[in-house]
Amino acid sequence: MYDHDLLIVGAGLAGLRCAVEAQRMGLKVAVITKVHPVRSHSNAAQGGINAPLTDRGDDWKGHALDTIKGSDYLADQDAVEIMSQEAGDAVLELERMGVIFSRGEDGKLGTRRFGGQKVARTFFVGAITGSALLHVLYEQSLKLGLQVYEEWFVTSLINEDGVVKGVVALDLKTGELEAISAKAVVIAAGGAGRVFEPSTNALICTGDGLSLAWNNGAGLMDMEMIQYHPTTLARTGILMSEAARGEGAYLFNSEGDRFMEKYAPDYMELASRDVVSRAEQTEINEGRGIDGNVLLDLRHLGKDFIESRLGYLQEVSVEFLGIDMSEKPVPIRPGMHYIMGGIKTDVNGETGVPGLYAAGECANVSVHGANRLGANSLLDTVVFGRRSASKASEYVKTVKDSKILTNEHVEKDLNRIKKILNNKGKLRTSEIRNTMATAMTEGIGVFRDQKSMEYAKKIVEESKIKYRDSLVVENKGKVYNTDLLFALELGYMIDCAESIVHGALTRKESRGAHFRTDIKDRNDKEWLKHTLIYRDRSGEIKIETPDVTITQWKPVARVY
Amino acid sequence: MKFAFYPGCVARGGTPELLSSSLAVLEKLEIEVEELTKAGCTGAGVLQEKNPLLGDTINVRTLAMAEEKSLPIMTLCSTCQGVLSQANHKVKKDKDYLKKINELLKEEGYEYKGTTDVKHLLWILVEDYGLDKLKDHFIKKLSGLSFAPFYGCYMVRPSEALGFDEKPERQMYLEKIIESVGATAIEFPGKFSCCGFPVLFINQTNSLKMVSNHTGSAKDLGADAMVTPCPLCHLNLDGYQGKARKNNRGDKADLPIIHMPQMIALAMGIETKEIGLGRHIVSTEEVVNKI
Amino acid sequence: METSCKSLLKGIMEVKLKVKRFDPEKPKDNIWYQDYNIDIHPSSTILDALINIREEVDGTLGLRCACRASICGSCGMKVNGQAKLVCKTRVEEIAPKGEILLIEPMGNHTVIRDLIVDLDTFFAKIEQITPYLQPDSEPETGEFIVSNESMDKLLTEMNCIMCGLCVSECTVLEVDKTFIGPAALAKASRFVYDPRDDQTDQRLNYLNDEQGGIWDCTRCLQCVEVCPKGVSPMDRIMDLRESAIEIGAKKTHGYHHTNSFEKSVTANGRLDETRLAIESAGIFNISRLIDLIPVGLKALIRGKLPPLFPHKAEDNKKIQELAKKIKEDK
Repeated sequence: MYDHDLLIVGAGLAGLRCAVEAQRMGLKVAVITKVHPVRSHSNAAQGGINAPLTDRGDDWKGHALDTIKGSDYLADQDAVEIMSQEAGDAVLELERMGVIFSRGEDGKLGTRRFGGQKVARTFFVGAITGSALLHVLYEQSLKLGLQVYEEWFVTSLINEDGVVKGVVALDLKTGELEAISAKAVVIAAGGAGRVFEPSTNALICTGDGLSLAWNNGAGLMDMEMIQYHPTTLARTGILMSEAARGEGAYLFNSEGDRFMEKYAPDYMELASRDVVSRAEQTEINEGRGIDGNVLLDLRHLGKDFIESRLGYLQEVSVEFLGIDMSEKPVPIRPGMHYIMGGIKTDVNGETGVPGLYAAGECANVSVHGANRLGANSLLDTVVFGRRSASKASEYVKTVKDSKILTNEHVEKDLNRIKKILNNKGKLRTSEIRNTMATAMTEGIGVFRDQKSMEYAKKIVEESKIKYRDSLVVENKGKVYNTDLLFALELGYMIDCAESIVHGALTRKESRGAHFRTDIKDRNDKEWLKHTLIYRDRSGEIKIETPDVTITQWKPVARVY
Repeated sequence: MKFAFYPGCVARGGTPELLSSSLAVLEKLEIEVEELTKAGCTGAGVLQEKNPLLGDTINVRTLAMAEEKSLPIMTLCSTCQGVLSQANHKVKKDKDYLKKINELLKEEGYEYKGTTDVKHLLWILVEDYGLDKLKDHFIKKLSGLSFAPFYGCYMVRPSEALGFDEKPERQMYLEKIIESVGATAIEFPGKFSCCGFPVLFINQTNSLKMVSNHTGSAKDLGADAMVTPCPLCHLNLDGYQGKARKNNRGDKADLPIIHMPQMIALAMGIETKEIGLGRHIVSTEEVVNKI
Repeated sequence: METSCKSLLKGIMEVKLKVKRFDPEKPKDNIWYQDYNIDIHPSSTILDALINIREEVDGTLGLRCACRASICGSCGMKVNGQAKLVCKTRVEEIAPKGEILLIEPMGNHTVIRDLIVDLDTFFAKIEQITPYLQPDSEPETGEFIVSNESMDKLLTEMNCIMCGLCVSECTVLEVDKTFIGPAALAKASRFVYDPRDDQTDQRLNYLNDEQGGIWDCTRCLQCVEVCPKGVSPMDRIMDLRESAIEIGAKKTHGYHHTNSFEKSVTANGRLDETRLAIESAGIFNISRLIDLIPVGLKALIRGKLPPLFPHKAEDNKKIQELAKKIKEDK
């Protein structure tokens, strides 16, 4: 007997949306999450969620084209079409669940502008949209009585004959390992920002889901596509939402110039994120920065406006840097923020591995291609979170009961953990991670070349060896052993780093966020393809390059 | 040194000893006070639950009265201090709200411009009079005595309305003044806690538990008495200590609760009748005899 | 144009922390205080310091943290006796002269290990107040039509990140675990004031009646003081009280108390404590009234009983007029 029909790894927006849908469909669902649902990193999304509302004069094709152009034509257009077409319903449904979206004069949902789009179609809640959505989905999960394995950490997927049948997980509060079987597993465990340093991501974003899927036969696609968000706060690296620019903020260099004029004369500060980040980094590299930053100026928006529409940003600026945005410009710089790459899925969350689905940031459908538009990530999570529930529920009906060798699976992970705990090494988890993450940012940064990427690869290989041989975990206890937890997460991070460097070295062109100073041009003739990395049981890496799906938009030069 | 005097309702009602001892101290220190006899009750936060606008209006009216006389207000009660400060802070921040209230006060002829300062006698003694000067008036040493300080919620929260950004040391004044009379101020973890008075008539069980916890733990830490600048706290900690301690710890009310001005008066050697220590429910005999 | 910015990487600061540890797996002596001395950047937060300890000094230190940007709510703990979100508390703020920082787990929660507390009761209280929208019916397509003002007003409550600081410092929860608590009551107000929710009266009646409901708050302002997001739970509770009275919810002792206060201040300009005590008990509530007698007698003997004819403010008619005007304006 399976413990559950559907087990969802991760209780962020994608995970909860999937769970709520599956619960509504009458499935026996559970969510397993290493932090309480409201602590999930979805709560850090600030600016808003895109949706073309066709009955209000917008056109889904407009959003689709903006998304595809934003992706530098790497997005699979059939997937984008679905996301754009379903966006309206997805967002309106969220409102009906109780999200306190901002309104226009007519009492209907109000909008703001966002990067890479000329039409204002971003729906928002102040500067806390992600948090507002997450909390409402959490409320809905309570309403439906969703079962949650709260603060349980997945250590491996149960994989028998290539079919995924559940997970082995560590109950953090007791330190006990347990096998939880399910007819299907949806991975919605988020991104892997901690593979880089600095990053806007929370400490929990360690690529757990990406690694779990990769080690069970799924492919990781376009992992070299790492988004550097243009406006992260100086020194702290805290995200300063694109909404600021959406509401009219300007970017200045040390000479007082609104430099985006040079790089994107049409869209200016609202060009796609990779374009803006590269512009900023160029200004900084060429000596027109201030201590490694440029300036984000909101003064002309006025204090009242800032406090009502961008309240959280003002809070952060004042609390962390002591700067009142209505009086002074804020120093910001590009910071690692999001991975467009991820577990390859189709438009229904299927990974190709029986019993395994994926949705959210950890998945790559691909709707974001080589660069994600702001406010499309929240959309991605709810649209594909829902779709995977739909698809998985069909699959679940076909699964017959079978005996699962749960003890063996638990035993395996127990031994792995014992080995880590008993290892007589000299390096703490943080040392290995910090070295690797710094090298990843250097080597796979806003700008990269063969040399830098090979350097990153070298450090990753070294990190693998250090992890295997030199790691030491001080805490040998069972109750809430965060020392052990971080060591397990490091293993996942190294896997992610490995797939990223392989993807980066594979793509021999510049496209979107993957900008090579040694191969500066986009090469549609040879590279209108995805990079797809597999790793088999023995650890052998296999790389494929499937074509991008083009439906109605022929790739053209991308100018902002 | 002159102040607009706002003794509050309870100083005239349930704790007349607070008024008499305060006036005695002020006389000795030659601090002039002019009472705002027309001023209304601050509302203590209770009025504000049902009718926040009325509460704020009455308080701004009080502030306007003092402003007319160009005098800062002196309060004797933590709750008055807190509620008046909150109203003051609110209208200084929200100019539209102040306008609305001034409209209501127009008929009586008041218009508040936002310049009045509200200070508890405790702050006045430390900041305006000065502890060194104050010590010159002490003829009796209260050394050998240990007092537990109990501020009263509204004297220490919310910090932004009470000027703690500029004067964070205000959170230590009670200990300072205890030390100035020669006594030891006990490290009392409950010093900023709630005495339970606001729910005395609503959830007596909880209220009494709080009284028992605070007086009991102070006694366990070796306090001879508890000193408080708030008569509402006093009413609960003194008046209900017997029942509270009996119900929760099974012991007796053995911790005298002294108003802050009474402590000053004792150190100054003022006649005990004026200090009114005989009015307390929990006997103060033992601690007075130790002096 | 502002073109200079403080150089952000200069300087080193020594920080001294005293952390309360707890190891449930130790058979005895499992609670102790551990001292740490570290060097970090002067603008660091207390969380930066704790992470530094965890990464470089003592990997066994247990604490929860995630976003480091005051949005996830994980890192609540007591600093020098008061609950704070340590990711947004700078060391300089609390210990400007290098004083020792006392770090302890949040109060009113069971400790799991070190600074990690059990939040099950916290979330159970949230669940208690039916924390999801309950409209009578939903629009088939499209959204509920409501004003931006009404949604904007809810931003205050929506800012709650469920960090638990208010619950940690709540003086009522210290003595009464049945109190619903500031976080859950603030969350409840988010639904009471949402125009799309159709259970407003039911919610208010529940919160009004329930043992441990809105009238049990002592108004000590602790939750307002510690909330890192400006939710001001106590003020939300006061809003709920006002609303409960408005809809004519059952007249609790709390209601009588507030009502009596308003009446005496309006009539006399001053508080009539005797009347307050009697009316709060309920003039027909014989047992409660009898309860008041012992204290009343003691007070009478000591000469502390408030005068039978309550003292009035001079010219108290003016206050009566103000009250009348405000009522009319409503």
